[in-house]
Amino acid sequence: MSPVTVVVDALLIVGVVVELVCCVGIVVMRTAYDKLHYTGPASIVGPLAFALAIVLREALSQAGIKALLVALLLIVASPVLTHATARAIYIRERDHVEDPHS
Amino acid sequence: MNVWLIAAGALLIGLIPCGIVIVRRPVLEALIALELASVLNTLVLLLLAEGFHRGPFFDLALVLALLSLAGGLVFARLLERWI
Repeated sequence: MSPVTVVVDALLIVGVVVELVCCVGIVVMRTAYDKLHYTGPASIVGPLAFALAIVLREALSQAGIKALLVALLLIVASPVLTHATARAIYIRERDHVEDPHS
Repeated sequence: MNVWLIAAGALLIGLIPCGIVIVRRPVLEALIALELASVLNTLVLLLLAEGFHRGPFFDLALVLALLSLAGGLVFARLLERWI
């Protein structure tokens, strides 16, 4: 078993464990804001681990670059989606957004 | 069967808790679970592409990642007030 294979397997295990823990967290947490925290690691740590594993196996071939692109896209999209969802929850609870300058 | 396909299968288990939240919880909590499920599906497609050694399958993951961002934003915007 080569060192690269060991690292790839370890990255896959890390990715899967992080994703599954986040899925459990979504069920266990009580409020929507608490649940929102669990989308972070699922969209950052997991994709990064899988993309690194694919790059280690395939090098920077077409597959490796596309895997990195997917991870990058998920990492960039995660905070945007989290912010939009938190804003939606806030507005739905209070029926308005408070103006900090008024 | 290789490690990539096993990892993809393990990730599919994560869709069950997401489905439970989508069915049983209020709509905005369901949206959070839907966003997580989208990430899971994207990663499953990525792992399946690598597991089957099919280059073009990576495009599916790329497209799903893009569309899930757009879909999530539209859902969040509409659920603020209108639905």
